[in-house]
Amino acid sequence: MAEFNLPQNSRLTEGKAWPKPAGAAKLTEFKVYRWNPDTGENPRTDTYFVDREDCGPMVLDALIWIKSKIDPTLTFRRSCREGICGSCAMNMDGKNGLACTTGIDECSGHGKSAGKVAIYPLPHMPVIKDLVPDLTRFYAQHASIEPWLKTTTPAPEKEWKQAKDDREKLDGLYECILCACCSTSCPSYWWNGDRYLGPAALLQAYRWLIDSRDESTGERLDNLEDPFRLYRCHTIMNCANACPKGLNPAKAIAEVKKMMVARQV
Amino acid sequence: MQSNSSMRTPLARVRGLGSAKSGTGHFWLQRVTAVANVVLTVIFLGVVISLFGKPYPAAMATLSHPLVAILMLLFVVSGAVHMRIGMQVVIEDYIHGEGLKIAAVMANTFFAIAIGAACVFAVLKLSFGG
Amino acid sequence: MAITKARSTATYAGQAYPITDHTFDVVVVGAGGAGLRATVGCSQAGLRTACISKVFPTRSHTVAAQGGVAASLGNMGKDTWQWHMYDTVKGSDWLGDQDAIEYLVRNAPAAVYELEHWGVPFSRTESGKIYQRPFGGMTTEFGEGPPAQRTCAAADRTGHAMLHTLYGQALRYNTEFFIEYFAIDLIMDEDGHCRGVIALKLDDGTIHRFRSQQTILATGGYGRAYFSATSAHTCTGDGGGMVLRAGLPLQDMEFVQFHPTGIYGAGCLITEGARGEGGYLTNSEGERFMERYAPSAKDLASRDVVSRSMTMEIRGGRGVGKNKDHIYLHLDHLDPKILHERLPGISESAKIFAGVDVTREPIPVLPTVHYNMGGIPTNFHGEVLTKVDGNPDTVVPGLMAIGEAACVSVHGANRLGSNSLIDLVVFGRAAGLRCAETVTAGEKQPELPKNSADLALIRLDKYRNASGGTSTAELRGRMQKTMQDNCAVYRTGETLEEGHKLIHEVWGGITDIATTDRSLIWNSDLVETLEFDNLITQAVVTMDSALNRPESRGAHAREDYPNRDDKDWMKHTLSWIDDEKRSVTLDERPVHTYTLSNDIEYIKPKARVY
Repeated sequence: MAEFNLPQNSRLTEGKAWPKPAGAAKLTEFKVYRWNPDTGENPRTDTYFVDREDCGPMVLDALIWIKSKIDPTLTFRRSCREGICGSCAMNMDGKNGLACTTGIDECSGHGKSAGKVAIYPLPHMPVIKDLVPDLTRFYAQHASIEPWLKTTTPAPEKEWKQAKDDREKLDGLYECILCACCSTSCPSYWWNGDRYLGPAALLQAYRWLIDSRDESTGERLDNLEDPFRLYRCHTIMNCANACPKGLNPAKAIAEVKKMMVARQV
Repeated sequence: MQSNSSMRTPLARVRGLGSAKSGTGHFWLQRVTAVANVVLTVIFLGVVISLFGKPYPAAMATLSHPLVAILMLLFVVSGAVHMRIGMQVVIEDYIHGEGLKIAAVMANTFFAIAIGAACVFAVLKLSFGG
Repeated sequence: MAITKARSTATYAGQAYPITDHTFDVVVVGAGGAGLRATVGCSQAGLRTACISKVFPTRSHTVAAQGGVAASLGNMGKDTWQWHMYDTVKGSDWLGDQDAIEYLVRNAPAAVYELEHWGVPFSRTESGKIYQRPFGGMTTEFGEGPPAQRTCAAADRTGHAMLHTLYGQALRYNTEFFIEYFAIDLIMDEDGHCRGVIALKLDDGTIHRFRSQQTILATGGYGRAYFSATSAHTCTGDGGGMVLRAGLPLQDMEFVQFHPTGIYGAGCLITEGARGEGGYLTNSEGERFMERYAPSAKDLASRDVVSRSMTMEIRGGRGVGKNKDHIYLHLDHLDPKILHERLPGISESAKIFAGVDVTREPIPVLPTVHYNMGGIPTNFHGEVLTKVDGNPDTVVPGLMAIGEAACVSVHGANRLGSNSLIDLVVFGRAAGLRCAETVTAGEKQPELPKNSADLALIRLDKYRNASGGTSTAELRGRMQKTMQDNCAVYRTGETLEEGHKLIHEVWGGITDIATTDRSLIWNSDLVETLEFDNLITQAVVTMDSALNRPESRGAHAREDYPNRDDKDWMKHTLSWIDDEKRSVTLDERPVHTYTLSNDIEYIKPKARVY
């Protein structure tokens, strides 16, 4: 049956409230998920106060500020800080996104936590430490759709020709940064992530299906035609809402389903 | 990574038993029955409203008309098929124990067939003046 | 094929570190464009290849490259590799090695076609060919003709498209990845032969010892030595740091490229392709000032020239904004359809990081550290070189370097935009080909020296338990500020002298460093400290090399020596460190003043005017 109880040792506890920085005029309160596998303790939420006048506008700026000025043990992934590498995907204010392109002021908080910024790792993934989720399965799902151009016709001396409007079909697909915001926001992926490929992998699958240069469309469709791999998408649309690059995986999945029907009907 | 205790590779786990190479029939049938149900439900409601407050013989008379009887049969069959498919998806979404899932999918099928058969029988009985 | 996977344990300062041993034919460190291309090449050659990376491959900073990849395909009009070569030599301010440059430009078209065949979604022309755009410093007719359209682009996400495609190819060839492993140090034997690398597996804190016939460093640049850089937080030049500690030199470290258009404040990159598509810069008077500095190429002059011009405008009180400290980049005159088709990524970045709608307003920009021309000296096969007994081309056996980490040197004193992406794939491929020639698959490798893990583990243990008085972040901040203040677009003997003193102080301060996280699982405090250790040594040799070069060449602009001095200084700088004594040794290496073939003559130095 669906699990309604949390696994053991996953109940969140109230963590440490770190002191406010001295002399700061404008402070914002951050509640950050912490978990260190070394301690054997339950996860907790630590409270930090960030001096906004000493810190950049984005959530990532605040996390780096906390790590540099208050608590170097705070652990998270980050790299490009301009929304293209996909490292700093996390759940902020209840919504998945990239910490580097999400403004602190966009996270207004709700109800009891109004005015506070709540930061959690991507939902429903195993956590390695603090805000670092284990994405092994997510990457394997991407690999399973065989993300490379497959051709049988001998390659030309120069480039494969591609019409401008055929190339346009890749727009909105190839820009995916594999941040996992979409897949980890999808309830169907939460329930059946072991068999459902999830929106990110399926968006990539469609990127290769629709590439006019690819000669393996049929095999690619064969590989996807499965009640779980593909058809667990129930057009809940969280993926399109979550995507920090403004892509629409749900639409791509619908297009894949259309291709499936088109080759049968 | 550490949290995966299984010794199989991540790709082996993702590929699992491979693609079932089916599901599109299921998906398409759900759309087809959905469209059919829109039309048939309207007709069904029309029949029900037209019979509202009328006595049993009047209902029998209406249903003995072949066109009405056939439309009502189509409505119950299409409805039962749609119900079965839809419920199966819900079961697959939420129930993860393999044994329980298979039992539930079977029970769902039996239930849909039983309901469908009962409805078909009722319509036929009325239609043939039973 | 035999692979030994033994476990052993080493003890340092009473702390046990379990070691897992691996044996490969080739180990590639880094999974950016160059690393992945080399990995694919080695795998194709049937060599057992490992690719170690501290981030998942598609997070590598190649992903952020925007404008494109240069190759003389001639899709938009006549073009030849000879013209590309001339532009690259001129761009390098005659510090580039012309044999390597010839290798680069001649192999460029094939490398781009290969990428296309692998699936890179290049933008297209009406006839279905790869779209090419103009870029800074790219001309026709040996600088005499109009700008060349040579830069192959996938909108303004070319690096992203390339990196994801290369990752796909690596998957196709079943590459063995070691992801989120941080390489700590090289294993060097007594003969100066590189025998592999030691790495820390981040998710469980175990130590992995990779033994290999060839180790290829593809670790990228060290942009984060500066306060404001377009580089990612992970661009910490780990390969350069490892090489310096291994007693090998780095080359031409004084040449640090400032990209003219980093977003003011945030530092995020706005591609040169924005100017390639018709964008232009203005000062506070609304003047297109580049017309004064580079009458012919204007806004499409080479990056060093544009960055200096912008700095001069700001110094002259003609900067824009409240503090008159930046410049405007205009795209608002361009057709929104063109912006949407060719520059969608930077339109988004400008919105997010500057709050600017590019169809209506200019983008506030400032020259920002972007690329390191310097790095690990190599020949055009990718083999690492050092100077031994006066021979400046002595190959270090077992060690190769490619990409931004290396200094081949094709970029010399200044890299042309879009020559970096082509550098990655051409020399990544070259390294793969060289390994195919020099490495025998599965050949038995000698036992590693007994102390093979010492250097790495002593450092690891030291920093993990460091309990001084200065946090890593504080020390790193001091380094970044010093580099930004004292080793920027314009340099003088005075600022460099001061910088030399300050940066050596920061280096000395490492004895007082403090880390807080004592865990071994995903200890990012420890990793940032190891990264700082890599950065500071490179910052120091950058400053000292800059102080040592009394001329202006390419990105190295000395106000006290405004001219290029070909007589005394047309030569590479080599820099070594002594990590114990914290001292720097400088030497020199001649520039290769010959080409690879008789198809083109050596391009003689002349005045560099755009």
